[in-house]
Amino acid sequence: MRVLRQLSCVLLAALAGVAQAAQHDPEKLAPIRVQDLQYGDVLFHYYQQDDFEALTRLLAYQHWNQLPHHELDSQLLLGGLYLSLGLYNEAGERFTKLLTPDLPQGVRNRAWFYLGQIWYARGYLDKAIDALRQVQGHLPLQQEAQKTHLLANALLRQGHFDEAIALLRSFNGPPDWLAFAQFNMGVALVRQQKMDEADSSLTAVGTLVSTQPEMLALRDRANLALGFAYLQANEPAKARVPLERVRLNGAYSNKALLGLGWADAALGDYQAALAPWTELRNRSLLDSAVQESYLAVPYAYGKLESNSQAAEYYESALTSFAAEQKALDGAIGRIQSGKMLEELLAGDEQTHYGWFWQLRNLPDEPESRYLYAIMAGHDFQEGLKNYRDLTFLGSTLDAWSDSAQTFGDMIDTRERAYAQRLPQVDQLLASGAVDQLQHRRDDLAARLTSIETREDVAALGSPAERAHWEQIRKLEDALANAPHDDATNALRDRLRLVKGVLFYQLVDAFKARQWQEQRTLKDLDLALHEAQSRWIRVDRARRSVPTNTGEFAARLAALKTRITELQARLAGAEKSQQAYLQQIAVAELSDQKDRLDTYEVQARFALATMYDKAASGQPAPKPAPPPGAPQ
Amino acid sequence: MKSFRVWSLPQRCIAAATLTILCLTAFAQGPALLGQSAPDFALRSFSGTNVRLSEDRGDVVVITFWGSQCGVCRKQLDMLDRSFATYRSAGLHMYGVSVDDDAAHARQYVSAHPLAFAMLEDPAKEVARLYQIDNLPTTVLIDRGGIVRHVYRDFGPRDEALYLSQLRELLNE
Amino acid sequence: MPVTKKIGRIRDCLVAACALLISMQALAADTTSSAPAAPSSAPASAKSKAVASQVEAALAAADAAQGSAPAAPATLTTTTAPGAADTRSLDEDTQTLKKDVVDLNRDLFVLEEELLFPANTQVAVYVSMDVGEFFALDSITLKIDNKEVTNYLYTPREVDALLKGGVQRLYLGNLKVGNHELVAFFSGKGPDNRDYRRGASLKFDKSIGAKYLELKIEDRQRKMQPEFEIKDWE
Repeated sequence: MRVLRQLSCVLLAALAGVAQAAQHDPEKLAPIRVQDLQYGDVLFHYYQQDDFEALTRLLAYQHWNQLPHHELDSQLLLGGLYLSLGLYNEAGERFTKLLTPDLPQGVRNRAWFYLGQIWYARGYLDKAIDALRQVQGHLPLQQEAQKTHLLANALLRQGHFDEAIALLRSFNGPPDWLAFAQFNMGVALVRQQKMDEADSSLTAVGTLVSTQPEMLALRDRANLALGFAYLQANEPAKARVPLERVRLNGAYSNKALLGLGWADAALGDYQAALAPWTELRNRSLLDSAVQESYLAVPYAYGKLESNSQAAEYYESALTSFAAEQKALDGAIGRIQSGKMLEELLAGDEQTHYGWFWQLRNLPDEPESRYLYAIMAGHDFQEGLKNYRDLTFLGSTLDAWSDSAQTFGDMIDTRERAYAQRLPQVDQLLASGAVDQLQHRRDDLAARLTSIETREDVAALGSPAERAHWEQIRKLEDALANAPHDDATNALRDRLRLVKGVLFYQLVDAFKARQWQEQRTLKDLDLALHEAQSRWIRVDRARRSVPTNTGEFAARLAALKTRITELQARLAGAEKSQQAYLQQIAVAELSDQKDRLDTYEVQARFALATMYDKAASGQPAPKPAPPPGAPQ
Repeated sequence: MKSFRVWSLPQRCIAAATLTILCLTAFAQGPALLGQSAPDFALRSFSGTNVRLSEDRGDVVVITFWGSQCGVCRKQLDMLDRSFATYRSAGLHMYGVSVDDDAAHARQYVSAHPLAFAMLEDPAKEVARLYQIDNLPTTVLIDRGGIVRHVYRDFGPRDEALYLSQLRELLNE
Repeated sequence: MPVTKKIGRIRDCLVAACALLISMQALAADTTSSAPAAPSSAPASAKSKAVASQVEAALAAADAAQGSAPAAPATLTTTTAPGAADTRSLDEDTQTLKKDVVDLNRDLFVLEEELLFPANTQVAVYVSMDVGEFFALDSITLKIDNKEVTNYLYTPREVDALLKGGVQRLYLGNLKVGNHELVAFFSGKGPDNRDYRRGASLKFDKSIGAKYLELKIEDRQRKMQPEFEIKDWE
């Protein structure tokens, strides 16, 4: 039943592909007004499908608390981004946190929806169903369609057919989704043995008109499903109709050809059956349908009583199978020995691409043929995605590693620059120069005030005036002790006159000078104020310096260690992934071998029976039909 | 550390020689971009839209530097055009960057010989410098991870087969 | 030259203060770093590729031998691939590892920005668009204090993101405290294919702490004439 699981997962992948275009459409997100510029920046990258960049920035801006207006939006977006990068656990945690009752219903709906997606992807279908059922009301259009599909798929896979059918019947969404819905419903109806209803659904899909490859593939699958359903229900004539609609050059044509042959065979027309089977037999033996045809063709010949031809074809089948077995053995051997890996990885360290990439470039290598088969598997796809993510992450780390070197240089330069200037700065700051200047200014202001109050006109005089005034004072003092005779009195008078004149001059100029000094004081105040502001800034910068550079250096060192450690872990993880993929590949090839063994046995048996009867003269009995024939 | 003057003659010669070699290597014409991340850039196309290289991450990109006066360039452009038509749907982007001194010439050529892929103008020759273009035509092949994988500095008839096979390899990744 | 005495004392003070100012200015310039303006960002994520065609081809070979099974997704016990227990723990390990790398990326981003554009001198210029009709932005040129700091070409993808409501961080740089002038020009095509060129300028004061400026391209009157405004997020 593995094939069904694989196919269902391919369906999911196809669904995801259809939804991809709509994924980063703001229709999906409730219309928001960007209130924090940084949140807008995250969206700018998100809308361009740069999920990793968006995630990095979102986390960084959260770290700096720069998204105060977008708490809920951030959490939802973060969850979605984690999801898209395969970090299911993280995403799950975020969404679960958003399920508190005090949050708006719209938010909780989206959280449930995402959680449903996560559970589904991890294979916890019941949980997925529960989660999706928690969504109340309607999500935006595309998400609603996606939700319905997920739920229907989960219900189908858990065997709840009726519910699934009811859900799909009520589905009313975009046309692409509608086709998928009908397909799933048709399949569910087949399971319920309701062939008529199944027919109408599957035929609707089987006759759709489109140019898109996904849609055409779906159409083929619908026809194939219907055809085989009818074969199972023993209605070969009805089976032919859809089977003939399957494209001859599509992925499903092999199975369709096989089915057509069986339909004809069931109707008893083995000659007609030979046509599709022979066509099939000419195709690549990799395909199981083709392998079956190797037995179906001789079977038909047997039925047509052309025993010699039948025998020939059986023999030929055996030869081909043996050759194929050998090739498979060789391929398995090469994969297991790791030789292939070695050769491919040699000298290719730079490009970080794994062995499976390379293999497809070597058409001559036998094992590369099988890889197409292997790659369809869900586990392989998952493993591949992980591997791709790991290599991508590795390359980002490498880029950072280079940058880290530059950062280190920058920090060093800065440290040295600081080391040079810090002593100066410290000295300056310690000198308290600004405070001293302030004091001096205050002193001066006080002196000026006192001069003004005392009207000490002489204090504001020019040097010459002050010198004169001094002289006059000295003379006054000298004269004070002199006798009061005419000569001395005359001197005193003259002195009084001179003093008077000078005094008059000083008084005259006093106001103007006073005003001048006031203005100068004002200018000084401005300059001082400016100086004080700068002082504060330098002081602040100085205080943050030791923590800055030391802290930066420490952080950088820690980050460098983490980079190296993670690079090592990544390398280890890449190896594990490769080994895992290797395991899958070998398992697939082993399965193929087993299948061939079965066919081989059948062929041998049929051949032996024919020879026995021929030898004993009895008519050759009806050969046993090959394993795949409907009973 | 000793000052230079104190070094002996042989030491000085060696130092000088090393310095010369380093200088020469710095100017050496070699595809130093091989294996490195392709430098990102944004240019205007002649048709009006702008193109940024990093947006094509995940696809294979071919950038060819050409001049309207170079005859070999024209042949190569035609060849590249054919490959573009074939492989476009497999995820191939192709750009022609004109390094004409005279933008008008380039424009004339482009209108006269329309090609399916976008032609970009690099008036300041910034991108040509980034990609160390010293010969025309030069074609650069960039893989899906943005790494320069092949650089063709000459074009001859033999090169088409090699180019196509290498292109297919990259597309299969 | 002899120092002026007494009356000139006030002038002395003034001269001394000026001298102090100058030396402090020089020191302040040195203690704040002026780093190169281009912010580096982590490499863009790889696009996921639709592998539909390859898977189709693969499906042909992958189908099971029992050809009668209808090809449909339906009941299926989730059969386990070889070594399913291995799958689980490998997957868990991978998730943990991925998370660690994502966290590291965040820390590196934070460190880089704090180192290159410390909050004290940081200046960031954002671009947002709010236009009624489609407007194809072509390029924006930014000049700060008369020096061109960026000339950005916009691709259709970026314009689309802007139209949807994204806000681009166009420029991140460092500026000293004080007055500065931002001049911006944008050019683009309107819905009627007309060319538009607009300019705007803003004088702003940079104090301590990050400065955010937003270039808003708007069409408020819905007259199909995009206008330009610079908003200072004080």
